[in-house]
Amino acid sequence: MSTQVREKQPLWRQLFTSQIGKKLLTGLTGLGLTLFVIVHMAGNLSYFAGNEAYNAYAHKLLSLGPLLYIAELGLLAFFVFHIVLGVNIYLGKRKAREQGYKRYKTAGGQSKQSLSSRSMIVTGVILGVFLVLHLVSFKFGAYYEAAESIDGKPVRDLARLLNEKFQSPLYAFGYSGVMVLLALHLRHGIWSAFQSLGATNPRLTPLIYTLGALVGLLIAVGFFILPLWIFFTGGNA
Amino acid sequence: MTIYLNVWRQEGPDKPGRFETYTVPDVSPDMSFLEMFDVLNEQLTLEGKEPVEFDHDCREGICGSCNMVINGQAHGPNARTATCQLHMRSFKDGDTLFVEPWRASAFPVIKDLVVDRDAFDRIMEAGGYVSVNTGNAPDANSIPIDKVAADSAMDYAACIGCGACVAACPNASASLFVGAKLAHLSLLPQGQPERNRRVVNMVHQMKEEGFGDCSNHAECEAVCPKGISIAGIAAMRRDYVKAMLAAD
Amino acid sequence: MKLDAKEPAGPLEQKWDRYLKDLKLVSPNNKRKHHVIVVGTGLAGASAAATLAELGYHISAFCIQDSARRAHSIAAQGGINAAKNYPGDGDSVWRLFYDTIKGGDYRSRESNVYRLAQNSNNIIDQCVAQGVPFAREYGGYLANRSFGGAQVSRTFYARGQTGQQLLLGAYSALSRQVSAGNIDMYARREMLDLVVVDGKARGIITRNLVTGELERYAADAVLLCTGGYGNVYFLSTNAKNSNVTAAWRCYKRGAFFANGCFTQIHPTCIPVHGDYQSKLTLMSESLRNDGRVWVPKNPEDSRPPQQIPEEDRDYYLERKYPSFGNLVPRDVASRNAKYVTDEGRGVGATGLSVYLDFRDSIKRLGRDVISQRYGNLFEMYERITDDNPYQVPMRIYPAVHYTMGGTWVDYNLMTTVPGLFCLGEANFSDHGANRLGASALMQGLSDGYFVIPYTMGQYIAGESFQAVDTEHDAFKEAENASRERLSKLLSINGNKTVLQFHKELGQFMWDYVGMSRNSEGLKKAISGISALKESFWNDVRVPGSNDTLNKSLEFAGRVADFLELGEVMARDALEREESCGGHFREEYQTPEGEALRNDDDFAYVAAWEHQESGPAVLHKEKLAFENVKLTQRSYK
Repeated sequence: MSTQVREKQPLWRQLFTSQIGKKLLTGLTGLGLTLFVIVHMAGNLSYFAGNEAYNAYAHKLLSLGPLLYIAELGLLAFFVFHIVLGVNIYLGKRKAREQGYKRYKTAGGQSKQSLSSRSMIVTGVILGVFLVLHLVSFKFGAYYEAAESIDGKPVRDLARLLNEKFQSPLYAFGYSGVMVLLALHLRHGIWSAFQSLGATNPRLTPLIYTLGALVGLLIAVGFFILPLWIFFTGGNA
Repeated sequence: MTIYLNVWRQEGPDKPGRFETYTVPDVSPDMSFLEMFDVLNEQLTLEGKEPVEFDHDCREGICGSCNMVINGQAHGPNARTATCQLHMRSFKDGDTLFVEPWRASAFPVIKDLVVDRDAFDRIMEAGGYVSVNTGNAPDANSIPIDKVAADSAMDYAACIGCGACVAACPNASASLFVGAKLAHLSLLPQGQPERNRRVVNMVHQMKEEGFGDCSNHAECEAVCPKGISIAGIAAMRRDYVKAMLAAD
Repeated sequence: MKLDAKEPAGPLEQKWDRYLKDLKLVSPNNKRKHHVIVVGTGLAGASAAATLAELGYHISAFCIQDSARRAHSIAAQGGINAAKNYPGDGDSVWRLFYDTIKGGDYRSRESNVYRLAQNSNNIIDQCVAQGVPFAREYGGYLANRSFGGAQVSRTFYARGQTGQQLLLGAYSALSRQVSAGNIDMYARREMLDLVVVDGKARGIITRNLVTGELERYAADAVLLCTGGYGNVYFLSTNAKNSNVTAAWRCYKRGAFFANGCFTQIHPTCIPVHGDYQSKLTLMSESLRNDGRVWVPKNPEDSRPPQQIPEEDRDYYLERKYPSFGNLVPRDVASRNAKYVTDEGRGVGATGLSVYLDFRDSIKRLGRDVISQRYGNLFEMYERITDDNPYQVPMRIYPAVHYTMGGTWVDYNLMTTVPGLFCLGEANFSDHGANRLGASALMQGLSDGYFVIPYTMGQYIAGESFQAVDTEHDAFKEAENASRERLSKLLSINGNKTVLQFHKELGQFMWDYVGMSRNSEGLKKAISGISALKESFWNDVRVPGSNDTLNKSLEFAGRVADFLELGEVMARDALEREESCGGHFREEYQTPEGEALRNDDDFAYVAAWEHQESGPAVLHKEKLAFENVKLTQRSYK
């Protein structure tokens, strides 16, 4: 008895074009990016140990040389995949329901539909734009040289840049505001990534869902206390 | 009680649709939602107008025919209740209700509230079965099956194929429907030989039918009249990845 | 015409095996050349279509719903019987056969029923292999329960959704064959006529329910698997689309219609709420294991049930049937509910219900045990009625549930039209005058998986088929007849809706051809229905047009057929001057008020032949009981 057998697709195609492959990649890159922002946040928090400590941390990263470029390239790839797939899923969703509902309401109960889950594309796009502005402001921003050098090499005084930038209410509150959106993005994103990886079950899901929200919130708080601190206290001397 | 209805009317698949407003007086709280539509249709027929077409059959929540989105909720406001089992006591005198068909590109409207759900059949044809010819079966008790696995398989097999999961999904994804069938068969020994092929074929067919991607809103589980868990979607994903990485 | 059941010779236990041994075969090459039409995709239709396609026949399958998976078999709750004897409690093929024959009150064919019992075991094997998730014990083996008062535990089940799971199994087998290209599946189609060429069934006319187009399909054999016709009573537990139209058009083309008076009325249904009621919901009769049925002793008693003291309650089943009590068979329980409501002792707003009380069981076993056993059912009951059965007794009333009668078939499941076969609930066979619980699913699947593949093959192998295509005059004639009928329905434009006529017909049927019948009432029904039919064709209003989805038009055609069927059912009931199974004639009862069979004069199948003009003609197939002794049922 013959049943219809589909031609086996190459792995890369299954990964990039199938509905499950796409979500798998989105989830993997999302979790990767979450790890990155956690590390980034930890770095930011070194600011509270003083300008020198912060600059030293930045210096240490920069001194990784080619390794840093590789990491940055990898990071860029993660961002690109995450964004391209996210946009693709959003556009697919519009095609999958050309005629929308006059009324639409969530059923509540087991639903995990929330402001967060509904606004992934919006928060995602804003975060993407923010990312560019952020790089322009800081990574590619004004270069000050610190008074102290490390191992005889000049050190960038990033702390000074921070202290300057976050005096501006636009920067301080804009930055903090975007971090709230990051929390919103992660609120659905972290749990969703685990579900996309198939790493959930009815017993685990509530735990992951709660932890995801908590981690998102902590990350956002970890990020926005820095600009707000600088704005309200004038920052480290 | 009196109910004010805004009902989606559409003459055919390629015709434009619109909401028509109707008033149904003397609605009893003990009426089912579909019985209220019966009353409306009797009224329309006697007025010389065309009744509202809607799918319905068993009217006891098992055939999966009925499909109304009521005030933005697939099958209406009550959890684990298909439209046919929803009763008017869930509404108040004077309520205004919007009634729409399932909306998904993969479920084109045929007429009024009737949609075409053939896409589900085609997904089943792509692999939602165990390939066993009649007469080939060994004795039913020759393979013991863990009761927990069998019960869990039954949870997923309870799907009635109504499509509420698609209708309520912000992305119009059919993942819960597909995941439920896959999880049902994957939990049983009988489903193992074709497990890899089945998941790949059904998942690909789902895409070909034009359903959206799943974004894990879990709205499907919340509206499912049988309360099927999105754990079935997670299981489908695990199986798909396994199949994707398998040697052949 | 003399009815020939074509039962194989030999001892009962060997009939089917001998039949299979002597079977004429169709070679694999030839099977491909034979085209078979299967109408209906319930348990019988889907299993037959899938199996025949596996064998190599080319199948066209038709269903009225939007998907084959929605056929009404899906709604069966309780379970499916098989003589596996897994619990080791003494079951056997013989015992299942015997119980089925006896339960049917000795009005079915021994050979058919024995074959059914033989096939029962294969069905369970087949379904498990398909992945049907039957209930299991912790050891991993299949669970069984006793059902409907059976003395052995032979019922396999999948929660309260056994029909759904078995149907989805058959549907998956069907889907596999659709995918393999062996089945062309046509959903949203209604069969409107049978095409007979040179005395043989060679095709059908269908209406595409989406476009309204009439379509012609030709084949070498037609399998009618269209289910029961309980909706002739308007209110029943059947799905709204369940109807007799396909079977009725076959009747009009020469297929005899048998035992119309045997209708099963199920005792535990949720009662009618109001005149808008569109259907009735069945609750598993397992409820009677722990629930006690009662009504107030005094018709004037209007106190809420909880306030009625013990001495003012009449537990009438326990009183009249001390040994079986609340577990008397379906027909006895139903009839007694009618008696007490006729006496004015019924409860609820309409007075058409009786209490099913769990108070004592809850007291004895605790709420948790009751909730484990019946939690789902209690939930469903509360959803529909808004009453909580843990606190207030349930109210129940009988409802039409299953039709044992149907198209007459011989041992091969072939009707009186050669090449037209009839399977499942649509045929009359196997259940006699009363069907046992958990036997409907068994019969549908036995017919489809394990009988028709052989018996139809035998027919195909034994016939020579001249090519007939859909341009044949017989197709044109049938299509035109269907078209004229549809135009006629649309053109009357009278003052009453289809639903109004259907409800009136239902009232006649329920009042006079229901749980208890008598000669006077049946005559009233015959003339009343005849007048109603006349009125229907002059005063019905069918809105809309023929060239689109038009459910009013679909239902109009079905009600028109129900009107004719109702008359034949009443005549059949009038003709059968005895009480047996689901047919209770008030004139024929024992001094204690129990059903009184008349085996000397009525041990036959009543098969009705349509006449172009004049009333239908009755043919009798005498039933011979060579293996069982006829006894009177007693539940005292």
